[in-house]
Amino acid sequence: MSEFEWLRQMRQLRRPLVPQRDLWSAIDTALDDIAPPDTPSRPAPGNTLRRRWLAAAGLAASIMLVGGIVWRNLPQAPASVPVADITDMTPDPWKPADPRLSGAAIELDAARMELQLAMQLDPGSAALQRLLDRTMLQQDQLRQLARQPG
Amino acid sequence: MSPVSAGVNDTDDVRAAAAGDRQAFQRLYHLHVGRVHGAVYRLAGYDHARAEDLTQDAFIRAWQKLPGFRHESAFGTWLYRLAVNVALMDIRARGADPVSMLDDDHLPDAGEIPFCAAEREELQRAISRLPPRARAVLVLHDIEGWRHEDIGNELGMALGTSKAQLHRARGLLRRLLGDNS
Repeated sequence: MSEFEWLRQMRQLRRPLVPQRDLWSAIDTALDDIAPPDTPSRPAPGNTLRRRWLAAAGLAASIMLVGGIVWRNLPQAPASVPVADITDMTPDPWKPADPRLSGAAIELDAARMELQLAMQLDPGSAALQRLLDRTMLQQDQLRQLARQPG
Repeated sequence: MSPVSAGVNDTDDVRAAAAGDRQAFQRLYHLHVGRVHGAVYRLAGYDHARAEDLTQDAFIRAWQKLPGFRHESAFGTWLYRLAVNVALMDIRARGADPVSMLDDDHLPDAGEIPFCAAEREELQRAISRLPPRARAVLVLHDIEGWRHEDIGNELGMALGTSKAQLHRARGLLRRLLGDNS
C-alpha cells in the first residue's frame, strides 16, 4: 500500500467526537472552585512609560527598605546559614538521567509549581487540588518508570 | 493543523470568557468539545472514560490560562494544542503501564487481511493496542497531520526518534491488522 493511500485511510479516523456523557456540568462545578480568571492589565500606550517608572521606583524603594531592615538586624542575625538548610528550602527539580523522560519531568514539575501557586491564591479549590494530586501522581509514575531498568 | 475551527467566529466569546463570563465559556465548550475530545480520545487509545477525564481537565486548564491567550492563533487551535498537551502529559506519565504495552514478540503473525479491508473499529482497536508513545506519534502524524518537528517538541524527543517511532508504530499496526502489503 502506498504512503498516500495509507495516510488517506488514517486521516478518515480524524473526526470530531462528542463525549458519551455531558462533561459541562462537571466542568462547571469544578470552575466554581476556581477563582475567575484574572484579566491581564493592558495599559494604554501613553501610560506605559509612566507605569514603568512607577514600577522601577517602587522596586527601588522596596530594595532600600529591605536593605535597611537587614542592615539594622545584621548584628543579631546568625553569622551564616548552613548551605544544607538553604538547599532544603529550595529543592532542585528532579532530573531523570534518561533523556527520554527529562522533557516530561520538566513539564510535570512546571505544572506542579503552577498549580501550587494557583492554590496559594485559592487554597480551598477542590478542582485545583484534584489537578495537583493527579500531577503529583504522574510524577510518581514517571519516577517509577525511571527506576525500571532499560 | 486547525481546519475545524476555520470560519468559526468565537472572538467575542473568547474575550468575554477571559474576563470571567462562564456562559461565554460554556458556548466555547459546546463549539469546540467535539474536536478536542476526538483528539484526546484517539491519543488515550480509544478509552472513553480516560478521554472524558482528560477533556474535562483540558477545559479547566483552558479556563485558567485563557487570560494569557494572545489571539495570535485561532482559539480552537490554541485549545486543541492545550488538550493534546494534557493528553501527552498523561501518556508520558503512564509510559510504564504494562497493560498498555505491546511487545513486538507478542504480535500475531501477519495474516491475509489487507489493510484497506479493515473496518474502522478494527483499525481503532489495533491502534489502541500500540505502545503509548508509538501510538501518540502515529495519531499525531498520520491522523492529526502533525509534522515530526512539532511532535518532537511536544513529546520531548529528537526528530529522528519521532520518525523511528512512527515507522515502528506503522509496522506494528500492519502486523496487528495482518497486512502483508
